[in-house]
Amino acid sequence: MTMARDLNPLDRIRIERVVWSLDQRLYDLPRRVRITHRRDLRHNLNEAARDIGVSAALRDLGGASALADAYLEAHHGSAPRARWTEAAVVVMTATFMLTSVFFDAAKAFGDGILAGDPDAEGTFRWSGISSLQNDVTYTVTDGEHTFVGGSFSPLTWVLLALGFVVVGRVWRVVPNLGARRHRDVAFTE
Amino acid sequence: MAGAHDPQLLKGVLSLLLLRLLADQESYGYEIVQRLHGIGLDEIQAGTVYPALARLERERRVSARLVASDEGPARKYYRPTPAGYEALADGAARWRSLADVVSTHLDRPVHRPEKGR
Repeated sequence: MTMARDLNPLDRIRIERVVWSLDQRLYDLPRRVRITHRRDLRHNLNEAARDIGVSAALRDLGGASALADAYLEAHHGSAPRARWTEAAVVVMTATFMLTSVFFDAAKAFGDGILAGDPDAEGTFRWSGISSLQNDVTYTVTDGEHTFVGGSFSPLTWVLLALGFVVVGRVWRVVPNLGARRHRDVAFTE
Repeated sequence: MAGAHDPQLLKGVLSLLLLRLLADQESYGYEIVQRLHGIGLDEIQAGTVYPALARLERERRVSARLVASDEGPARKYYRPTPAGYEALADGAARWRSLADVVSTHLDRPVHRPEKGR
């Protein structure tokens, strides 16, 4: 039916890049389904590449993002759905930013001790950012300070968990904006 | 352009087309893409067909079986299930009904207003 051509290692790398790019976007699907899609796509891409060349095969496939949206819609339907992967990314980013802010705040308080009294000596305690941070203990000697503590309070962890749920489900009220855009361009105009 | 097919219209009948093609002959993913192109629907991208097949399989309108291939891993061949044949008959009837209404309306002569009015 087709005049098959051989695929060189670079061709296979290009195919694998798309396959795994799709896979990363399908983490909201059950593992078994994701593996099936990955295997099917790899096989179909190999067939297409042998027939029309890798570049044409990948062009005919469209972008991995649009393809992933189509697979997700095929699995979940067009109804809005929770997006836990996005939620995890948002919460991890928030965790990183809060850690940075808490550290800077704790360091600023220590600097403030020495700014207020350059000859200060001994231990000091700061209760941290109200309700969000555990106590910070400073040891000031010879015009230098070190501190311990300042970790997330239980309330902060609760807020992060709440944020995870809210962000994961907030997409239900912003129904598939991205998916709609991709679906509309899924065919070549 | 008169020769190009409207993507929105194609999107609406893709499942129907897939079921029809598979009713003629079971096929694997890329082969179905080729068959769609072969009947003149070059606008349909492979990236649209594969998820549509996945949806049909999930809806149990097609079943799949793996067949050994000389050119690599086993190919996944699809064919309609009894529910798929029912969906095909139902969809085809709906399409013909819609096409009749639309064609009848579109085939009526168009009276353009004269210039200057």
